[in-house]
Formats: sequence, C-alpha cells, structure tokens
Amino acid sequence: MIPDVLLATGAALLQAGGMLAVAPLLKTLIKKMKARLQNRQGPPLWQGYYDLAKLLRKEPVRSETASWVFVAGPRVYFAAAVAATTLVPVLIAAAPLEAAGGILLLVGTLALGRFALATAALDTGSPFGGMGASRDMTIAALAEPALLLGLFASALAVGTMNLGALVRTLLEQEPAWHPSDFLAFAGLFIIVIAETGRIPVDNPATHLELTMIHEAMVLEYSGPDLALVEWASAVKELLYLTLLANLFMPIGIALRAEPVALAIALVAWAGKVFLLAVAVTVVESTNAKLRLFRVPELVSVSLGLAFLALAIRFL
Amino acid sequence: MTSNILILCATGMLVSAYLMVGQKALLTTIRLYGAQSLLLGIVATTIALAEGRHELFVTAALTVTLKAALIPWFLLRTVDRIGIHREIEPALNVPASLLVCLGLTVVGYRVSTGFLEGARGVGHHLIGVALSLLLIGLFLMVTRKKAITQILALLTVENAVFLVAIGVTEGMPFIVELGISFDVILAVLVLGILVQRIVGRFESMDISRLSKLKG
Repeated sequence: MIPDVLLATGAALLQAGGMLAVAPLLKTLIKKMKARLQNRQGPPLWQGYYDLAKLLRKEPVRSETASWVFVAGPRVYFAAAVAATTLVPVLIAAAPLEAAGGILLLVGTLALGRFALATAALDTGSPFGGMGASRDMTIAALAEPALLLGLFASALAVGTMNLGALVRTLLEQEPAWHPSDFLAFAGLFIIVIAETGRIPVDNPATHLELTMIHEAMVLEYSGPDLALVEWASAVKELLYLTLLANLFMPIGIALRAEPVALAIALVAWAGKVFLLAVAVTVVESTNAKLRLFRVPELVSVSLGLAFLALAIRFL
Repeated sequence: MTSNILILCATGMLVSAYLMVGQKALLTTIRLYGAQSLLLGIVATTIALAEGRHELFVTAALTVTLKAALIPWFLLRTVDRIGIHREIEPALNVPASLLVCLGLTVVGYRVSTGFLEGARGVGHHLIGVALSLLLIGLFLMVTRKKAITQILALLTVENAVFLVAIGVTEGMPFIVELGISFDVILAVLVLGILVQRIVGRFESMDISRLSKLKG
C-alpha cells in the first residue's frame, strides 16, 4: 500500500501540472472566440504557449532601484496560484490536498499571491505600478468578501467548508436547486470577471493608462518574470472557472479514481469550462468597459447577491 | 425538474432586478428588462407544460412577444432618438440602493412565509421573489430620476404581479390578461411619447425639473 501522504502529493503534482498545462490554452481560446465574434481570425490556439516560451527565453530587465520584493513578487504570485490548484476538486470529487484546508485556505492563498504582486508593483516607485496596485486593491477589497460569501453560501447548503467533501456531498444528494445557489452563482460569476480582469472591469488587451488595472501593475516586468505573472493569471482564471463549474454543476465528476469515470469526468470538465468560457466571451464582447469609478458598484452588486444567497437560506 | 426550472427563472428575474439597481446605463437596463420578461415567459411555459394549463401558452406568447421583444425594442428606439444614454446620479447612490434592496428582499421573503401557499416549496420562493421584485421596482421608481428608468421600474412591478398570478394562483381570466397586456403596451407608448416631449422641452430626462417653475 502507498501511504496517504505520497498519494496526496502525487495527485497534487498531477493536478497542478495538468492545470498549468491547460491554462494558456483557455486564455487563447477566449481570445480566439472573442476575435471570431468580431469577424477576425484570431491567434492560433497554441499562441499562449508560444508567448510563454518566448518570454521564458528572454533576459529579465529590472529597474536599478528594484529590491528583492520586486523579484519575489511574480514568484510568490505564481506559487500561490499553483498551490491553490491543489485545493480544488477538478476531475475527482476530492481535492488532492484537502486535508490542508478548504474555502478559507483557498481564498487566503489567492490573497497572498495578490498581496505579493501589489507590493512588488509598488517597489520600483514607478507611478504605473502604484496606480495599478491601488486600483487592484480597491477592487479586491470588495471582491474578496464577495468571493468568500458566495463560497460560504454553497458551503452552508452542505454543511462543510472543505471543497472536496462539499462536492462529494453535492454528488451524492438529490439535485434540488435553491434560489441561493443561483444567486451565489451570479455573484461569483461577476467576481470571476473582476478577478480575471475581463472587460466590464478591466481590459486585458490594452495598455491604456486611464483604464488598465492588472496590466498597470505588471508593466515593469519583462522576460521570465512577466511569463510567470501571465501564466499564473491564466491558471487563476482556469481555477475560478473550474470552481464555478464544479460547485454549481457537479455533473460528471468522478467519485473514484477509475479510468472510465476519469475519462467521463475529463470530458464533462472540459465541456463545463468551455461553456463558462463562452459565457465570459459573450459578456466581454457585448459590454462596454465600465469607468473605473463604476467598477466598485458592479462588484458591490455581486457582494449583495452573495450576501442574499446566504440570507435566503435562513428565510 | 419543474420546480428547479421555476426557481432558476424566478431567481434569474431577481438577479436582473439587482443588476438594474447596480448600474446606470439605460441600454443595459432595457436589455435586462427584456431578459427578465423572457424568464417570465419561460416560467409560464414551464407551468403550462407541467400542469397542462394550455391557456398559459397564450400568456407566455404574449409575454415574450410584447414584453421581451416589442417594449424593449420601442424603448431602445426612444433612447436612441433622444440620444441620452446614461442615468444621472440617482437620489440614492448605488451601494446604498443595493443595501436597501437587500433589506427589501429579506422583507419580501419573510412576508411570503405568511401566505398559506408560500409556507414551503416552490410557492415560497415564487412569492418571495415576486414580493421582492415588487418592492425593488417601487424603490427604483422612487429613487431614479430618469423617465425611462421609471417606466422600466413600473414594468418590473408588473412582471412581479404576473409572476405571482401565473405561478401561485389558478391564473387570471384570459380577458383580464389581454386587457393588462394592452394596458401595458399603451402605457409604454404614451410614456415613450411623454419622455420625448419632456426631453424636447427641458433638454433632459430628469423629471425633477418638471416641478420647477418656468417663467
């Protein structure tokens, strides 16, 4: 028998590796679908990998005034994103490292990554970095409680904060929808758009100083540092979509690690993430970017919806 | 399955109302109203299929053609013609409005448990959502200053009444339903013209200017 620790570590490595491998594809897929909606050809689906490979080959250029915080930022951000992938059930109804913690640890890990990147952006003293960091934090201050509340709402339905156990219980019990689920889903969907820097909140495709948030924060990075940030952002996006798909549509997730069940789970997961990616693309293509001062209003809608999702359970 | 779809659509209507409260672009608000009406149409169709109440198909068809297509199209055209696209600062700012709406939803849900029908199950959620929508609609009417938003708030209230009528009661007599539908479309037409007149005279849709004296 293989000890549990080794098994969990192996599963965690496999899952993190898989997510890292797929994430650039998702990013390019959304870009491609967006281009198609605008009657453009769009990049080839492998473009995300080409970009990363190109950036990783280059030499990093760092400002003379940058300290170790600037160097550590992308690394911590990347590590946090990778660590977070091991806390979420993807194909099997169990997270590899679920013994370590549930919802709170997941949100905390992601917050650590964001903190590292924001401090690193402040480090060089460039106005763009500081501006981006302050904007990112303004949104995060509202988005994070909304994320927590939305996840709590689904945890409350099942009675556990552990994501693996949560999905297991969801799979075993009869599917009965409650308004709370849909409210939480709507709230979390807005959060996903805000956190991944998609259009009503931030525009991932431009470097316009008046509007950019995430791009302003990472403007100083180049070469492998930039590659780490981009890759981690892609992983985070995939992670959020997986979380949404598996918490609210837990169909097809394998209960045990059997080849057939895993194959079905893989197809189901890919399908669900694809559907959500289509939804993100449509939202991005049909909405105009909000003014920066309007963004907190949108995020506070999601905070309200998440709170309501929690409150309705008691009414 | 039926109850799942009903709950999904009813909650969707509530979410659309919250999004209406949460942003100020008129075009988005009109589209949200269209989506809300479409969801109401799905509710009617679902109940018609599940309970074999064929007269509800007519209600669904009327709802979708009038409220999800015709009225949004007319309002979009009106907005296009007068060239005003944004809500001005409402009487209460957005976060505060959202807080009030949260309170209103809690009240609506709490009150819905008092109904015999609403004590449990789907009826509880349908009445709860409908009462919340009604209160949010009234609240929007009071706090927003643009005539178009006020029309949309009125229509939201009307959607809420329909949701209860379709979902919980045996349904309204057909002639009443037809009457209400034509009333609504007439009201929207008249209000649309009124909006254009207001804009023509005051060069703004701000109805608080109507109470100012003109010399």
